[in-house]
Amino acid sequence: MLYALMGLGLALITGVLNIPNFAHGALFAVGAYLLASTANLIGNFWLALVVAPLGAALLGLAIEYLGIRRLYAAGHDYQLLFTFGLALILSEAIILVWGPVGYSHLPPPVLRGGVDLGFTFYPKYRLFVMVAAGLLVLATWLFLEKTRYGAIMRAGIENKEMVSLLGIDIHKLFTAAFALGAYLAGIAGALTAPIRGLSPGMGVDMLGIAFVVVALGGLGNLLGAIAAGLLIGVAQAVVAAHWTEASSVVIYAVMAAVLLVRPQGLFGIR
Amino acid sequence: MSRALIAILAAIVVLPLVVRPAIASEIWIFAIFGLGLNLLLGYTGLLSFGQSTFFGSAAYVAGWLLKHYAINVFLALGIGVAVGAASAALVGYLCVQRSGLYFIMLTFALNQLFYFIAYQWTGVTGGEDGMPGIPRPDFLGIDFGEPLPYYAFVSALFLLSLWIMKRIVESPLGKILQAIRENEVRAEALGYDTARFKLAAFVIGGAFSGLAGVLYAMLFGIVPLEAIGFVTSGNVVFATLIGGSGSLYGPVIGSFVFIWLSESVSTLWARWPLLLGVAFVIVVLFFRGGVVEAWARFSAWRERKWRSSRQTG
Repeated sequence: MLYALMGLGLALITGVLNIPNFAHGALFAVGAYLLASTANLIGNFWLALVVAPLGAALLGLAIEYLGIRRLYAAGHDYQLLFTFGLALILSEAIILVWGPVGYSHLPPPVLRGGVDLGFTFYPKYRLFVMVAAGLLVLATWLFLEKTRYGAIMRAGIENKEMVSLLGIDIHKLFTAAFALGAYLAGIAGALTAPIRGLSPGMGVDMLGIAFVVVALGGLGNLLGAIAAGLLIGVAQAVVAAHWTEASSVVIYAVMAAVLLVRPQGLFGIR
Repeated sequence: MSRALIAILAAIVVLPLVVRPAIASEIWIFAIFGLGLNLLLGYTGLLSFGQSTFFGSAAYVAGWLLKHYAINVFLALGIGVAVGAASAALVGYLCVQRSGLYFIMLTFALNQLFYFIAYQWTGVTGGEDGMPGIPRPDFLGIDFGEPLPYYAFVSALFLLSLWIMKRIVESPLGKILQAIRENEVRAEALGYDTARFKLAAFVIGGAFSGLAGVLYAMLFGIVPLEAIGFVTSGNVVFATLIGGSGSLYGPVIGSFVFIWLSESVSTLWARWPLLLGVAFVIVVLFFRGGVVEAWARFSAWRERKWRSSRQTG
Protein backbone atom coordinates (compact mmCIF):
# COMPACT_ATOMS: atom_id res chain seq x y z
CA MET A 1 0.00 0.00 0.00
CA LEU A 2 2.84 2.37 0.79
CA TYR A 3 4.38 1.57 -2.56
CA ALA A 4 1.08 2.37 -4.22
CA LEU A 5 1.05 5.72 -2.41
CA MET A 6 4.59 6.55 -3.52
CA GLY A 7 3.94 5.35 -7.05
CA LEU A 8 0.73 7.34 -7.32
CA GLY A 9 2.47 10.55 -6.29
CA LEU A 10 5.32 10.00 -8.72
CA ALA A 11 2.97 8.94 -11.52
CA LEU A 12 1.10 12.20 -11.03
CA ILE A 13 4.30 14.24 -11.25
CA THR A 14 5.76 12.39 -14.23
CA GLY A 15 2.38 12.31 -15.92
CA VAL A 16 1.37 15.95 -15.54
CA LEU A 17 4.75 17.68 -15.52
CA ASN A 18 6.65 15.24 -17.73
CA ILE A 19 9.84 15.49 -15.68
CA PRO A 20 11.99 12.78 -14.07
CA ASN A 21 11.60 13.58 -10.39
CA PHE A 22 14.68 12.18 -8.67
CA ALA A 23 13.81 14.17 -5.57
CA HIS A 24 10.75 12.02 -4.90
CA GLY A 25 12.64 9.73 -2.55
CA ALA A 26 14.09 12.70 -0.71
CA LEU A 27 10.60 14.09 -0.16
CA PHE A 28 9.66 10.71 1.28
CA ALA A 29 12.58 10.89 3.71
CA VAL A 30 11.75 14.49 4.62
CA GLY A 31 8.21 13.37 5.48
CA ALA A 32 9.55 10.63 7.75
CA TYR A 33 12.02 12.87 9.58
CA LEU A 34 9.48 15.67 9.96
CA LEU A 35 7.07 13.22 11.54
CA ALA A 36 9.62 11.97 14.05
CA SER A 37 10.69 15.49 14.98
CA THR A 38 7.25 17.04 15.31
CA ALA A 39 5.93 13.99 17.18
CA ASN A 40 8.79 14.31 19.66
CA LEU A 41 8.36 18.07 19.88
CA ILE A 42 4.62 18.30 20.45
CA GLY A 43 4.17 14.83 21.84
CA ASN A 44 1.24 14.04 19.61
CA PHE A 45 1.66 11.46 16.86
CA TRP A 46 -1.63 12.27 15.12
CA LEU A 47 -0.99 15.97 14.83
CA ALA A 48 2.50 15.20 13.56
CA LEU A 49 0.98 12.89 10.95
CA VAL A 50 -0.99 15.87 9.68
CA VAL A 51 1.88 18.37 9.86
CA ALA A 52 4.75 16.32 8.38
CA PRO A 53 3.27 15.63 4.93
CA LEU A 54 2.14 19.25 4.71
CA GLY A 55 5.76 20.21 5.25
CA ALA A 56 6.77 17.94 2.38
CA ALA A 57 4.02 19.43 0.22
CA LEU A 58 5.20 22.96 1.00
CA LEU A 59 8.73 21.96 0.10
CA GLY A 60 7.40 20.48 -3.14
CA LEU A 61 5.55 23.72 -3.81
CA ALA A 62 8.72 25.72 -3.34
CA ILE A 63 10.77 23.35 -5.52
CA GLU A 64 8.32 23.58 -8.38
CA TYR A 65 7.78 27.32 -8.07
CA LEU A 66 11.42 28.32 -7.72
CA GLY A 67 13.19 25.71 -9.81
CA ILE A 68 11.33 23.25 -11.95
CA ARG A 69 9.09 25.96 -13.40
CA ARG A 70 12.09 27.38 -15.26
CA LEU A 71 13.07 24.01 -16.67
CA TYR A 72 10.04 22.80 -18.60
CA ALA A 73 11.64 23.79 -21.88
CA ALA A 74 15.12 22.60 -20.89
CA GLY A 75 15.06 18.92 -21.75
CA HIS A 76 15.15 15.87 -19.53
CA ASP A 77 18.89 15.93 -18.95
CA TYR A 78 18.82 19.23 -17.09
CA GLN A 79 15.58 18.43 -15.28
CA LEU A 80 17.16 15.20 -14.12
CA LEU A 81 20.30 16.94 -12.99
CA PHE A 82 18.25 19.51 -11.09
CA THR A 83 16.11 17.02 -9.21
CA PHE A 84 19.14 14.80 -8.62
CA GLY A 85 20.98 17.79 -7.18
CA LEU A 86 17.98 18.51 -4.96
CA ALA A 87 17.97 14.89 -3.78
CA LEU A 88 21.66 15.22 -2.83
CA ILE A 89 21.02 18.51 -1.03
CA LEU A 90 18.03 17.15 0.88
CA SER A 91 19.70 13.92 1.95
CA GLU A 92 22.83 15.77 3.08
CA ALA A 93 20.67 18.34 4.85
CA ILE A 94 18.98 15.48 6.69
CA ILE A 95 22.40 14.24 7.83
CA LEU A 96 23.33 17.75 8.93
CA VAL A 97 20.15 18.28 10.90
CA TRP A 98 19.44 14.81 12.25
CA GLY A 99 22.83 13.11 12.10
CA PRO A 100 24.18 10.30 9.91
CA VAL A 101 23.04 7.46 12.17
CA GLY A 102 19.57 6.06 11.66
CA TYR A 103 17.22 5.72 14.57
CA SER A 104 13.82 4.27 15.28
CA HIS A 105 10.58 5.99 16.09
CA LEU A 106 7.95 4.18 18.09
CA PRO A 107 4.33 4.20 16.99
CA PRO A 108 1.85 5.88 19.38
CA PRO A 109 0.91 3.77 22.43
CA VAL A 110 -2.54 2.93 21.07
CA LEU A 111 -1.01 1.20 18.09
CA ARG A 112 1.75 -0.74 19.82
CA GLY A 113 1.48 -4.49 20.16
CA GLY A 114 -0.39 -6.74 17.80
CA VAL A 115 -3.77 -8.18 17.08
CA ASP A 116 -4.74 -11.82 16.75
CA LEU A 117 -6.36 -12.25 13.35
CA GLY A 118 -7.18 -15.91 14.02
CA PHE A 119 -4.75 -17.33 11.47
CA THR A 120 -1.84 -15.03 12.22
CA PHE A 121 -0.60 -12.47 14.69
CA TYR A 122 -0.17 -9.05 13.11
CA PRO A 123 1.32 -5.81 14.53
CA LYS A 124 -1.38 -3.21 15.12
CA TYR A 125 0.60 -0.38 13.59
CA ARG A 126 1.15 -2.19 10.31
CA LEU A 127 -2.56 -2.87 10.14
CA PHE A 128 -3.18 0.83 10.72
CA VAL A 129 -0.74 1.79 7.97
CA MET A 130 -2.39 -0.59 5.57
CA VAL A 131 -5.82 0.87 6.24
CA ALA A 132 -4.61 4.47 6.29
CA ALA A 133 -2.61 4.11 3.07
CA GLY A 134 -5.54 2.34 1.45
CA LEU A 135 -7.88 5.15 2.42
CA LEU A 136 -5.41 7.75 1.16
CA VAL A 137 -5.07 6.02 -2.18
CA LEU A 138 -8.84 5.81 -2.39
CA ALA A 139 -9.24 9.47 -1.44
CA THR A 140 -6.67 10.57 -4.02
CA TRP A 141 -8.32 8.42 -6.61
CA LEU A 142 -11.77 9.86 -5.83
CA PHE A 143 -10.31 13.36 -5.96
CA LEU A 144 -8.82 12.72 -9.38
CA GLU A 145 -11.86 10.91 -10.69
CA LYS A 146 -14.83 12.76 -9.22
CA THR A 147 -13.85 16.36 -8.64
CA ARG A 148 -13.39 19.21 -11.09
CA TYR A 149 -9.76 19.74 -10.07
CA GLY A 150 -9.05 16.06 -10.46
CA ALA A 151 -10.53 16.13 -13.93
CA ILE A 152 -8.29 19.08 -14.83
CA MET A 153 -5.23 17.16 -13.61
CA ARG A 154 -6.10 14.10 -15.63
CA ALA A 155 -6.73 16.32 -18.61
CA GLY A 156 -3.26 17.78 -18.03
CA ILE A 157 -1.76 14.32 -18.45
CA GLU A 158 -3.71 13.72 -21.66
CA ASN A 159 -3.21 16.98 -23.48
CA LYS A 160 -1.53 20.05 -22.03
CA GLU A 161 -2.13 22.38 -24.97
CA MET A 162 -5.83 21.67 -24.91
CA VAL A 163 -6.06 22.34 -21.19
CA SER A 164 -4.40 25.73 -21.52
CA LEU A 165 -6.55 26.54 -24.56
CA LEU A 166 -9.58 26.00 -22.36
CA GLY A 167 -8.43 28.92 -20.25
CA ILE A 168 -6.88 26.99 -17.39
CA ASP A 169 -3.62 28.27 -15.95
CA ILE A 170 -1.34 25.36 -16.75
CA HIS A 171 1.39 26.65 -14.43
CA LYS A 172 -0.96 26.53 -11.45
CA LEU A 173 -1.90 23.01 -12.48
CA PHE A 174 1.78 21.99 -12.59
CA THR A 175 2.45 23.49 -9.18
CA ALA A 176 -0.60 21.80 -7.70
CA ALA A 177 0.28 18.42 -9.19
CA PHE A 178 3.85 18.61 -7.88
CA ALA A 179 2.67 19.66 -4.41
CA LEU A 180 0.12 16.85 -4.33
CA GLY A 181 2.76 14.35 -5.43
CA ALA A 182 5.12 15.67 -2.75
CA TYR A 183 2.32 15.43 -0.18
CA LEU A 184 1.74 11.77 -1.04
CA ALA A 185 5.49 11.06 -0.81
CA GLY A 186 5.65 12.90 2.52
CA ILE A 187 2.76 11.03 4.08
CA ALA A 188 4.13 7.71 2.83
CA GLY A 189 7.39 8.60 4.57
CA ALA A 190 5.61 9.70 7.74
CA LEU A 191 3.64 6.44 7.90
CA THR A 192 6.79 4.41 7.25
CA ALA A 193 8.89 6.01 10.00
CA PRO A 194 7.57 3.86 12.87
CA ILE A 195 7.88 0.65 10.82
CA ARG A 196 11.31 0.87 9.28
CA GLY A 197 12.90 3.58 11.38
CA LEU A 198 14.74 6.54 9.95
CA SER A 199 17.98 6.63 8.04
CA PRO A 200 19.42 9.14 5.56
CA GLY A 201 19.48 6.46 2.88
CA MET A 202 15.78 5.66 3.12
CA GLY A 203 14.88 8.08 0.35
CA VAL A 204 17.07 6.49 -2.29
CA ASP A 205 15.75 3.01 -1.64
CA MET A 206 12.21 4.29 -1.95
CA LEU A 207 13.01 6.31 -5.07
CA GLY A 208 14.03 3.16 -6.94
CA ILE A 209 10.86 1.43 -5.88
CA ALA A 210 8.68 4.37 -6.89
CA PHE A 211 10.28 4.36 -10.35
CA VAL A 212 9.66 0.66 -10.70
CA VAL A 213 6.03 1.15 -9.72
CA VAL A 214 5.55 3.90 -12.28
CA ALA A 215 7.38 1.96 -15.00
CA LEU A 216 5.31 -1.13 -14.28
CA GLY A 217 2.03 0.74 -14.13
CA GLY A 218 2.71 2.47 -17.41
CA LEU A 219 3.66 6.14 -17.66
CA GLY A 220 0.81 8.52 -16.98
CA ASN A 221 -1.43 5.70 -15.83
CA LEU A 222 -2.55 6.42 -12.27
CA LEU A 223 -4.67 3.32 -11.74
CA GLY A 224 -1.81 1.27 -13.15
CA ALA A 225 0.54 2.80 -10.60
CA ILE A 226 -1.75 1.78 -7.76
CA ALA A 227 -2.05 -1.78 -9.06
CA ALA A 228 1.69 -2.04 -9.68
CA GLY A 229 2.39 -0.74 -6.18
CA LEU A 230 0.26 -3.50 -4.70
CA LEU A 231 1.84 -6.14 -6.93
CA ILE A 232 5.37 -5.09 -5.98
CA GLY A 233 4.49 -4.96 -2.29
CA VAL A 234 3.03 -8.45 -2.33
CA ALA A 235 5.90 -9.88 -4.39
CA GLN A 236 8.42 -8.41 -1.99
CA ALA A 237 6.57 -9.69 1.09
CA VAL A 238 6.31 -13.21 -0.33
CA VAL A 239 10.00 -13.35 -1.25
CA ALA A 240 11.08 -11.76 2.03
CA ALA A 241 9.30 -14.53 3.92
CA HIS A 242 11.34 -17.22 2.18
CA TRP A 243 14.60 -15.58 1.17
CA THR A 244 15.28 -12.35 3.05
CA GLU A 245 18.44 -11.35 1.18
CA ALA A 246 16.65 -11.28 -2.15
CA SER A 247 13.77 -9.06 -1.05
CA SER A 248 15.23 -5.83 -2.42
CA VAL A 249 16.41 -7.46 -5.63
CA VAL A 250 13.05 -9.08 -6.37
CA ILE A 251 11.36 -5.72 -7.01
CA TYR A 252 13.68 -4.97 -9.88
CA ALA A 253 13.66 -8.56 -11.11
CA VAL A 254 9.85 -8.47 -11.32
CA MET A 255 10.09 -5.24 -13.27
CA ALA A 256 12.66 -6.62 -15.70
CA ALA A 257 10.57 -9.76 -16.22
CA VAL A 258 7.38 -7.83 -16.87
CA LEU A 259 9.09 -5.41 -19.24
CA LEU A 260 10.49 -8.31 -21.26
CA VAL A 261 6.97 -9.48 -21.92
CA ARG A 262 5.19 -6.14 -21.97
CA PRO A 263 7.63 -3.30 -22.70
CA GLN A 264 4.90 -0.69 -22.25
CA GLY A 265 4.27 -1.78 -18.64
CA LEU A 266 1.37 -3.73 -17.26
CA PHE A 267 -1.30 -1.20 -18.12
CA GLY A 268 0.58 1.18 -20.36
CA ILE A 269 -0.79 2.23 -23.69
CA ARG A 270 2.04 4.52 -24.77
CA MET B 1 47.43 17.69 -34.87
CA SER B 2 44.49 19.70 -33.67
CA ARG B 3 44.64 22.30 -30.94
CA ALA B 4 42.42 20.23 -28.67
CA LEU B 5 44.78 17.29 -28.91
CA ILE B 6 47.80 19.47 -28.12
CA ALA B 7 45.96 20.85 -25.10
CA ILE B 8 45.16 17.32 -23.89
CA LEU B 9 48.74 16.13 -24.36
CA ALA B 10 49.98 19.17 -22.45
CA ALA B 11 47.47 18.47 -19.68
CA ILE B 12 48.63 14.85 -19.46
CA VAL B 13 52.21 16.00 -18.92
CA VAL B 14 51.48 18.88 -16.53
CA LEU B 15 48.72 17.31 -14.44
CA PRO B 16 50.82 14.93 -12.28
CA LEU B 17 53.07 17.87 -11.38
CA VAL B 18 50.11 19.85 -10.05
CA VAL B 19 47.94 17.25 -8.33
CA ARG B 20 48.57 13.86 -6.75
CA PRO B 21 49.10 11.16 -9.42
CA ALA B 22 46.07 9.26 -8.08
CA ILE B 23 43.80 12.21 -8.79
CA ALA B 24 45.45 12.80 -12.15
CA SER B 25 44.79 9.14 -13.05
CA GLU B 26 41.23 9.42 -11.80
CA ILE B 27 40.60 12.37 -14.12
CA TRP B 28 41.53 10.40 -17.24
CA ILE B 29 39.67 7.31 -16.02
CA PHE B 30 36.57 9.38 -15.46
CA ALA B 31 37.08 10.92 -18.89
CA ILE B 32 36.98 7.43 -20.47
CA PHE B 33 33.77 6.79 -18.52
CA GLY B 34 32.38 10.11 -19.77
CA LEU B 35 33.33 9.33 -23.39
CA GLY B 36 31.19 6.22 -23.18
CA LEU B 37 28.21 8.08 -21.76
CA ASN B 38 28.59 10.88 -24.28
CA LEU B 39 28.14 8.48 -27.18
CA LEU B 40 24.68 7.82 -25.72
CA LEU B 41 23.81 11.23 -24.32
CA GLY B 42 25.51 13.58 -26.72
CA TYR B 43 25.50 11.67 -29.99
CA THR B 44 22.42 9.44 -29.77
CA GLY B 45 20.28 11.59 -27.49
CA LEU B 46 19.75 8.81 -24.95
CA LEU B 47 20.00 9.96 -21.35
CA SER B 48 21.23 6.89 -19.50
CA PHE B 49 21.13 7.27 -15.76
CA GLY B 50 22.56 3.82 -15.15
CA GLN B 51 26.12 3.97 -16.47
CA SER B 52 27.58 2.84 -13.15
CA THR B 53 25.95 -0.57 -13.77
CA PHE B 54 28.61 -1.30 -16.38
CA PHE B 55 31.38 0.55 -14.58
CA GLY B 56 30.73 -1.34 -11.34
CA SER B 57 30.05 -4.77 -12.86
CA ALA B 58 33.32 -4.67 -14.79
CA ALA B 59 35.20 -3.47 -11.72
CA TYR B 60 33.81 -6.29 -9.60
CA VAL B 61 34.37 -9.10 -12.10
CA ALA B 62 37.87 -8.05 -13.18
CA GLY B 63 38.78 -7.11 -9.61
CA TRP B 64 37.75 -10.51 -8.36
CA LEU B 65 39.78 -12.27 -11.04
CA LEU B 66 42.80 -10.06 -10.39
CA LYS B 67 42.57 -10.76 -6.70
CA HIS B 68 41.99 -14.51 -6.74
CA TYR B 69 43.62 -15.64 -9.98
CA ALA B 70 46.32 -12.97 -10.41
CA ILE B 71 45.48 -12.50 -14.07
CA ASN B 72 47.47 -10.38 -16.52
CA VAL B 73 46.70 -6.63 -16.66
CA PHE B 74 45.58 -6.68 -20.26
CA LEU B 75 43.45 -9.74 -19.70
CA ALA B 76 41.77 -7.91 -16.81
CA LEU B 77 41.12 -4.89 -19.01
CA GLY B 78 39.77 -7.10 -21.78
CA ILE B 79 37.47 -8.87 -19.37
CA GLY B 80 36.32 -5.52 -18.01
CA VAL B 81 35.48 -4.28 -21.49
CA ALA B 82 33.63 -7.52 -22.22
CA VAL B 83 31.67 -7.41 -18.95
CA GLY B 84 30.82 -3.75 -19.50
CA ALA B 85 29.60 -4.48 -23.02
CA ALA B 86 27.67 -7.60 -21.98
CA SER B 87 25.88 -5.92 -19.06
CA ALA B 88 25.11 -2.97 -21.33
CA ALA B 89 23.64 -5.34 -23.91
CA LEU B 90 21.41 -6.82 -21.21
CA VAL B 91 20.25 -3.47 -19.85
CA GLY B 92 20.09 -1.90 -23.28
CA TYR B 93 17.86 -4.66 -24.62
CA LEU B 94 15.26 -3.78 -21.99
CA CYS B 95 15.63 -0.03 -22.33
CA VAL B 96 16.02 0.90 -25.99
CA GLN B 97 12.45 0.03 -26.79
CA ARG B 98 11.34 2.99 -24.68
CA SER B 99 12.22 6.64 -24.93
CA GLY B 100 12.12 9.87 -22.94
CA LEU B 101 11.25 9.71 -19.27
CA TYR B 102 10.57 6.02 -19.42
CA PHE B 103 14.06 5.31 -20.70
CA ILE B 104 15.70 7.35 -17.95
CA MET B 105 13.69 5.65 -15.23
CA LEU B 106 14.40 2.18 -16.59
CA THR B 107 18.14 2.70 -16.76
CA PHE B 108 18.02 3.95 -13.18
CA ALA B 109 15.84 1.08 -11.93
CA LEU B 110 18.10 -1.52 -13.54
CA ASN B 111 21.08 0.25 -12.00
CA GLN B 112 19.39 -0.27 -8.64
CA LEU B 113 18.91 -3.97 -9.47
CA PHE B 114 22.66 -4.41 -9.96
CA TYR B 115 23.36 -2.26 -6.91
CA PHE B 116 21.25 -4.44 -4.64
CA ILE B 117 22.81 -7.60 -6.02
CA ALA B 118 26.25 -6.19 -5.17
CA TYR B 119 24.95 -5.03 -1.80
CA GLN B 120 23.56 -8.42 -0.81
CA TRP B 121 26.13 -10.72 -2.40
CA THR B 122 28.64 -10.01 0.36
CA GLY B 123 30.56 -13.26 -0.17
CA VAL B 124 31.96 -11.90 -3.43
CA THR B 125 31.53 -8.13 -3.41
CA GLY B 126 32.03 -7.45 0.29
CA GLY B 127 28.72 -5.59 0.36
CA GLU B 128 28.94 -2.21 1.99
CA ASP B 129 32.63 -2.61 2.83
CA GLY B 130 33.58 -2.95 -0.81
CA MET B 131 35.98 -5.41 -2.38
CA PRO B 132 39.50 -4.54 -1.18
CA GLY B 133 42.91 -5.95 -2.03
CA ILE B 134 42.91 -5.63 -5.80
CA PRO B 135 46.49 -5.78 -7.06
CA ARG B 136 48.12 -3.89 -9.90
CA PRO B 137 50.23 -6.62 -11.48
CA ASP B 138 53.55 -5.88 -13.22
CA PHE B 139 53.74 -6.04 -16.95
CA LEU B 140 56.98 -6.64 -18.89
CA GLY B 141 58.94 -5.58 -15.86
CA ILE B 142 57.07 -2.29 -15.46
CA ASP B 143 55.87 -1.91 -11.90
CA PHE B 144 52.36 -0.50 -12.11
CA GLY B 145 52.25 -0.49 -8.33
CA GLU B 146 54.14 2.79 -8.55
CA PRO B 147 51.83 5.78 -9.09
CA LEU B 148 53.60 7.38 -12.04
CA PRO B 149 53.96 4.33 -14.33
CA TYR B 150 50.31 3.59 -13.68
CA TYR B 151 49.44 7.17 -14.52
CA ALA B 152 51.29 6.85 -17.82
CA PHE B 153 49.46 3.60 -18.51
CA VAL B 154 46.06 5.20 -17.78
CA SER B 155 46.91 8.22 -19.94
CA ALA B 156 47.91 6.02 -22.85
CA LEU B 157 44.66 4.07 -22.57
CA PHE B 158 42.74 7.33 -22.38
CA LEU B 159 44.35 8.56 -25.61
CA LEU B 160 43.57 5.23 -27.24
CA SER B 161 39.94 5.49 -26.08
CA LEU B 162 39.68 9.05 -27.35
CA TRP B 163 41.04 8.00 -30.73
CA ILE B 164 38.63 5.05 -30.97
CA MET B 165 35.70 7.25 -29.96
CA LYS B 166 36.70 9.86 -32.55
CA ARG B 167 36.72 7.13 -35.19
CA ILE B 168 33.32 5.89 -34.01
CA VAL B 169 31.54 9.23 -34.05
CA GLU B 170 33.01 10.07 -37.47
CA SER B 171 32.09 6.67 -38.89
CA PRO B 172 28.81 5.93 -40.69
CA LEU B 173 27.60 4.39 -37.42
CA GLY B 174 28.23 7.68 -35.63
CA LYS B 175 26.35 9.59 -38.32
CA ILE B 176 23.36 7.26 -38.02
CA LEU B 177 23.35 7.70 -34.25
CA GLN B 178 23.32 11.47 -34.70
CA ALA B 179 20.48 11.10 -37.17
CA ILE B 180 18.56 9.20 -34.50
CA ARG B 181 19.24 12.02 -32.05
CA GLU B 182 17.98 14.64 -34.48
CA ASN B 183 14.92 12.81 -35.69
CA GLU B 184 14.34 9.20 -34.81
CA VAL B 185 11.21 8.79 -36.91
CA ARG B 186 12.99 10.07 -39.99
CA ALA B 187 16.00 7.81 -39.38
CA GLU B 188 13.62 4.89 -39.15
CA ALA B 189 11.82 5.99 -42.31
CA LEU B 190 15.18 5.96 -44.11
CA GLY B 191 15.33 2.26 -43.38
CA TYR B 192 17.56 2.13 -40.33
CA ASP B 193 16.61 -0.25 -37.55
CA THR B 194 16.94 2.44 -34.88
CA ALA B 195 16.47 0.09 -31.93
CA ARG B 196 19.47 -1.95 -33.08
CA PHE B 197 21.64 1.12 -33.54
CA LYS B 198 20.67 2.42 -30.11
CA LEU B 199 21.56 -0.95 -28.65
CA ALA B 200 24.91 -0.77 -30.45
CA ALA B 201 25.56 2.65 -28.91
CA PHE B 202 24.64 1.21 -25.52
CA VAL B 203 27.05 -1.70 -25.88
CA ILE B 204 29.93 0.54 -27.03
CA GLY B 205 29.23 2.95 -24.18
CA GLY B 206 29.17 -0.01 -21.80
CA ALA B 207 32.54 -1.22 -23.07
CA PHE B 208 34.12 2.20 -22.35
CA SER B 209 32.49 2.23 -18.90
CA GLY B 210 33.86 -1.26 -18.26
CA LEU B 211 37.39 -0.19 -19.18
CA ALA B 212 37.08 2.79 -16.85
CA GLY B 213 35.71 0.56 -14.10
CA VAL B 214 38.69 -1.84 -14.16
CA LEU B 215 41.21 1.02 -14.26
CA TYR B 216 39.40 2.58 -11.31
CA ALA B 217 39.50 -0.67 -9.32
CA MET B 218 43.24 -1.05 -9.97
CA LEU B 219 43.90 2.62 -9.17
CA PHE B 220 42.42 2.48 -5.68
CA GLY B 221 42.92 -1.24 -5.07
CA ILE B 222 39.29 -1.51 -4.02
CA VAL B 223 35.85 -1.64 -5.57
CA PRO B 224 33.65 0.40 -3.23
CA LEU B 225 29.91 -0.23 -3.28
CA GLU B 226 29.43 3.34 -4.53
CA ALA B 227 31.15 2.32 -7.79
CA ILE B 228 27.90 0.64 -8.83
CA GLY B 229 25.59 3.11 -7.07
CA PHE B 230 23.35 5.67 -8.71
CA VAL B 231 25.41 8.61 -7.45
CA THR B 232 28.25 7.47 -9.71
CA SER B 233 25.78 7.37 -12.60
CA GLY B 234 24.68 10.89 -11.72
CA ASN B 235 28.23 12.16 -11.45
CA VAL B 236 29.20 11.04 -14.92
CA VAL B 237 26.05 12.64 -16.35
CA PHE B 238 26.92 15.85 -14.52
CA ALA B 239 30.54 15.79 -15.66
CA THR B 240 29.49 15.26 -19.26
CA LEU B 241 26.91 18.03 -19.13
CA ILE B 242 29.20 20.62 -17.52
CA GLY B 243 31.80 19.86 -20.15
CA GLY B 244 29.17 20.17 -22.81
CA SER B 245 27.63 17.08 -24.33
CA GLY B 246 27.57 16.57 -28.06
CA SER B 247 31.19 17.47 -28.58
CA LEU B 248 33.94 14.88 -28.46
CA TYR B 249 36.01 16.77 -25.88
CA GLY B 250 33.10 17.87 -23.68
CA PRO B 251 33.27 14.93 -21.26
CA VAL B 252 37.06 15.28 -21.07
CA ILE B 253 36.79 18.90 -19.91
CA GLY B 254 33.87 17.93 -17.70
CA SER B 255 35.65 15.13 -15.87
CA PHE B 256 38.68 17.36 -15.42
CA VAL B 257 36.55 20.03 -13.73
CA PHE B 258 34.42 17.54 -11.83
CA ILE B 259 37.17 15.32 -10.36
CA TRP B 260 39.44 18.21 -9.57
CA LEU B 261 36.70 20.15 -7.79
CA SER B 262 35.21 17.20 -5.94
CA GLU B 263 38.64 15.99 -4.81
CA SER B 264 39.59 19.39 -3.48
CA VAL B 265 36.25 19.96 -1.75
CA SER B 266 35.80 16.46 -0.35
CA THR B 267 38.90 16.80 1.82
CA LEU B 268 37.53 19.99 3.35
CA TRP B 269 34.09 18.89 4.48
CA ALA B 270 32.52 15.46 4.98
CA ARG B 271 29.17 16.80 3.76
CA TRP B 272 30.58 17.82 0.38
CA PRO B 273 27.81 16.07 -1.59
CA LEU B 274 25.66 18.94 -0.33
CA LEU B 275 27.88 21.38 -2.21
CA LEU B 276 27.80 19.05 -5.18
CA GLY B 277 24.01 19.19 -5.12
CA VAL B 278 24.09 22.97 -4.91
CA ALA B 279 26.51 23.02 -7.86
CA PHE B 280 24.10 20.84 -9.90
CA VAL B 281 21.22 23.19 -9.16
CA ILE B 282 23.20 26.34 -9.96
CA VAL B 283 24.57 24.92 -13.19
CA VAL B 284 21.12 23.83 -14.30
CA LEU B 285 19.43 27.12 -13.44
CA PHE B 286 22.09 29.50 -14.69
CA PHE B 287 24.75 27.78 -16.79
CA ARG B 288 22.93 25.39 -19.02
CA GLY B 289 25.18 24.49 -21.93
CA GLY B 290 28.26 23.80 -19.86
CA VAL B 291 31.70 25.31 -19.60
CA VAL B 292 31.94 25.90 -23.33
CA GLU B 293 28.79 28.01 -23.41
CA ALA B 294 29.60 29.82 -20.17
CA TRP B 295 32.90 30.91 -21.71
CA ALA B 296 31.12 32.12 -24.85
CA ARG B 297 28.67 34.12 -22.75
CA PHE B 298 31.48 35.58 -20.69
CA SER B 299 33.32 36.71 -23.83
CA ALA B 300 30.13 38.25 -25.20
CA TRP B 301 29.60 40.12 -21.94
CA ARG B 302 33.18 41.40 -21.99
CA GLU B 303 32.78 42.54 -25.56
CA ARG B 304 29.57 44.41 -24.73
CA LYS B 305 31.22 46.07 -21.79
CA TRP B 306 34.19 47.05 -23.89
CA ARG B 307 31.92 48.56 -26.55
CA SER B 308 29.76 50.46 -24.09
CA SER B 309 32.82 51.85 -22.35
CA ARG B 310 34.08 53.04 -25.74
CA GLN B 311 30.77 54.73 -26.51
CA THR B 312 30.55 56.55 -23.21
CA GLY B 313 34.25 57.35 -23.05
